[in-house]
Amino acid sequence: MEMIIGGAFQGKEAWVKKRYPEICWRNGSEISREELFQAEGVLGFHEFIRSEMKAGRETEGLAGELIRKNPGILLVSDEIGYGVVPVDAFDRAYRERVGRICTELASFSKKVVRVVCGIGTVIKDA
Amino acid sequence: MMILVTGGSGSGKSAFAEDCVLACGEGRRIYIATMYPYDEESRKRVRRHREMRAGKGFETIECYTDLPAVKVPAGSTVLLECMSNLAANEMFRPEGAHENAESEILKGIALLREQAANLVVVTNEIFSECCIYQGETEAYRSCLGKVNQALAEMADQAVEVVYGIPVYLKKGGAVHEKPVEQL
Repeated sequence: MEMIIGGAFQGKEAWVKKRYPEICWRNGSEISREELFQAEGVLGFHEFIRSEMKAGRETEGLAGELIRKNPGILLVSDEIGYGVVPVDAFDRAYRERVGRICTELASFSKKVVRVVCGIGTVIKDA
Repeated sequence: MMILVTGGSGSGKSAFAEDCVLACGEGRRIYIATMYPYDEESRKRVRRHREMRAGKGFETIECYTDLPAVKVPAGSTVLLECMSNLAANEMFRPEGAHENAESEILKGIALLREQAANLVVVTNEIFSECCIYQGETEAYRSCLGKVNQALAEMADQAVEVVYGIPVYLKKGGAVHEKPVEQL
């Protein structure tokens, strides 16, 4: 597993498509959990978490399940935990869940790249 | 030599950028100020930055929009602060470039780079929160994000300042006369 993370509008998609041109990328906002477990690479993984939570589905065990079922996946996700605590309860739960899930996945990942201003910096290379 | 300095609010990116200018050696120092002083809070902020720069020999040029029109002395060291204000001015002020904000800004930066010996640009990290913005604000984030990517591509060095600590995203180009860390 490998993660490519960073803020919005930092050029993560362009970065991964340049480095992994052979990968079939899926959009996190458009796929089911089964498709996630089959996917080679997912863009906007935070959007997948959001849509699962919006649909009322349990996400507590998502990281563990993904590690078991698709340990080689490439995940691109926004970092969303740097702003003010959101007023809305769903937004608060979503923001924290993205953090918890991505932390668990980053712990399992062999490599984590953080993209800022279009430049990828390897922050974990185990 | 071009350096892009980014970071969050209050991260110490301005102080670091000024140190970069000092590290470029003697010669004329030009400060391009982009914050439009529209209220007491912004005037206070301007005063704080002026005090920080005092005694460092900067000549100040105010530029709220139309960066390509700015002329700087050949061979000078230029500090432009802050790209987040310039982008907002170009997008939202009546005299701004609006839908051409991104291209006008990048054209202006390319021209400055040709005239100056050294160019330091300060920008801002506003991209890592969970709020979903719509309309103008999202368009603004998109514009600044794209500008930042293009500037980092053009720059010899790109640095994210984290609580005063420089984290280099890109470290190339000619070296300073002395390392910023030793000032």
